[in-house]
Amino acid sequence: MIKLTRIDDRLVHGQVAFTWTPALGVNCLLIANDKVAKDDFLKMTLNLAKPAGVKLLIKSIDDAVAFLNNEKSTGLKILLIINSVKDAYQLVNSVPEIRSVNFGGIRMNNGSRLISKAVAVSDDDIELIKELLNKGIELELRQVPTEKKQLVESLI
Amino acid sequence: MSISYILIALIAMFGHSEDFLGTTLLSRPLVLGPLVGLVLGDVNQGIIIGATLELIFMGNIKVGAAIPPDVITGGVLGTAFAIISGKGPAIALAIAVPISILAEMVISSLFVFRAVLNKKFNQYADSGDYKGIQRLHILSGILRPIFMGIIILLALQLGSSVMKSFLDMIPAWVQSGLTVAGNMLPALGFALLMHLMFNKTIAPYFFLGFILAAYLKLPVIAIGGLGVIIALIVTQIAPKITDDDEDDFESVADEEPKPVNKIRRTDIRNVFLRSMALEANFNFETWQNTGFAFAMIPVLKRIYKTKEDMAAALKRHLQFFNTSPYGSTLILGITAAMEEQNSNDATFEEDSINSVKLGLMGPLAGVFDSLFWGTFKVIAAGVGTSLAIKGNIMGPVLFLLIFNVPHLVLRYNLTFIGYNTGTKFLQNLAQNNVMDRLTKGASILGLMVIGAMPATLMSITTPITIGSDKTAVTIQSVLDQVVPSVIPLGLTFLVYYFVKNGAKTTHLLLGLLALGFIGSIIHLFA
Repeated sequence: MIKLTRIDDRLVHGQVAFTWTPALGVNCLLIANDKVAKDDFLKMTLNLAKPAGVKLLIKSIDDAVAFLNNEKSTGLKILLIINSVKDAYQLVNSVPEIRSVNFGGIRMNNGSRLISKAVAVSDDDIELIKELLNKGIELELRQVPTEKKQLVESLI
Repeated sequence: MSISYILIALIAMFGHSEDFLGTTLLSRPLVLGPLVGLVLGDVNQGIIIGATLELIFMGNIKVGAAIPPDVITGGVLGTAFAIISGKGPAIALAIAVPISILAEMVISSLFVFRAVLNKKFNQYADSGDYKGIQRLHILSGILRPIFMGIIILLALQLGSSVMKSFLDMIPAWVQSGLTVAGNMLPALGFALLMHLMFNKTIAPYFFLGFILAAYLKLPVIAIGGLGVIIALIVTQIAPKITDDDEDDFESVADEEPKPVNKIRRTDIRNVFLRSMALEANFNFETWQNTGFAFAMIPVLKRIYKTKEDMAAALKRHLQFFNTSPYGSTLILGITAAMEEQNSNDATFEEDSINSVKLGLMGPLAGVFDSLFWGTFKVIAAGVGTSLAIKGNIMGPVLFLLIFNVPHLVLRYNLTFIGYNTGTKFLQNLAQNNVMDRLTKGASILGLMVIGAMPATLMSITTPITIGSDKTAVTIQSVLDQVVPSVIPLGLTFLVYYFVKNGAKTTHLLLGLLALGFIGSIIHLFA
């Protein structure tokens, strides 16, 4: 069961390991990212950050989709982490279980603008966001679980 | 009175310089309270008020860009007004809570504003002008203490007499209501901390801490000591988990031995010292980037002699960066080693420097934030406030020592470990599951101390009696014989339940205040 789908370009860090994991009571962190899945160094660093007692899985987007759509994964309480709106879009389209996406942190890049303290989006992102909203997906913005949900549609 | 106002404003400015001082907890109410007390001629009150505020703001921690209420401004003004009016801790908290929430907004706007400076920083980098970057980093950092200092001085100058006459109007029953309400608030701090650490597997340690404190009346410092021992035993007998994808790590290429060492020991030491100012120019666009560049400059100066090389390096390190300040030196050390390699080897892939940096910053922030906020800070605050609440000056002193001795020793050594062993150190940690054991041990220890807190740091009792005058028995005396401190414990769990179910912190704060206040008026709580 996916407890939360979170966009966070730092993937696993303080907010994830220290606030989201205990707050959601998850037992599995699933990182879906094509680049990281191929990079042993990044995998090693992410393994360091893994909170105690939690399983960490790092998969390419395609493998993650297959995993999440597999019956066997329903027993796990999963926090799914991706690092871009684009990947979120792809996952939402391929995994029907995802009905809500949390915007945690996306840093500024050329051509993107901040819509909150820690989230910046580009024009391309906004297109995807609109499509997701049309599908009835909840897009909410919170860095840590104790914050109030802000709806992304009210910020763009 | 003006001189003391200026001194108090200076204390607040000192607190707001924390971003230059390595996030060493110097700005916590437990430390600034006694200083304000000293200026106003009542150190004892300062210590006690500082401890009370520390308890209430205990769960307020800075993780990533989630900025907590500004306890510096709130704490200093609350303590000052309470001492000036002679009203005690309850009034201090009634003032500190709203002020800290307002002041947080001011600070957040500063963090937004600072993003404007990024253009200037980039111009300096383009021309290899590291001195410009240093200057602007420091100037922008000083903005915060100056700005907040002025606000606080004005608040004192204009607000004191109004505040005093207003506080004098408060009738005694309101004040005793506020005192009870104030005694309830630590439950929120404890609950927020529990929320971070509590889970089924380590729950027994919470109750162990509670029992040691409630029945055996052990002081927090003893429970902390026991916690260390238990954590060591548990993590040593825990079976080593063998990861099946262990060979993944084998493929990580070994680092080449460094051919020429241009960087000197003193450079690395300077990197450590400068890492203290990592967050001085914290902003919401690029976060700690200029702090990282600022800390790297001693190394860059040593290895890059041409303007072009320097400019390229500065630009590299002005990219977005954010990590836990406590573990930042490890990344700085590793980066220093890579920069040195880059300066020696023309074929070195420059992009790899930033990819390693960015790869490490998130994971290490996770490790170090939980270690320092979840364990060291909890123990330091537990021991410190339990002494300070009785007016003992050793409270703030131990608070700083318990946190900063491990912090600074680790932070200093990590700079050298990072530089000398690079990512190999991390690979070793990953292979031997060190982190898993460390985080488990740290959460056991932290949770034991949190368990002790409701029993030692919250004094909520009930004055209800049963029976007629002569044979009257207070319910409290019955409770004390069965489960001492059961009311604080129950309250903590009640708040924890709400926190877990997503209640907003401000709502809980107001709810607890109301519960305490009304409970005091109807003689349910005392």
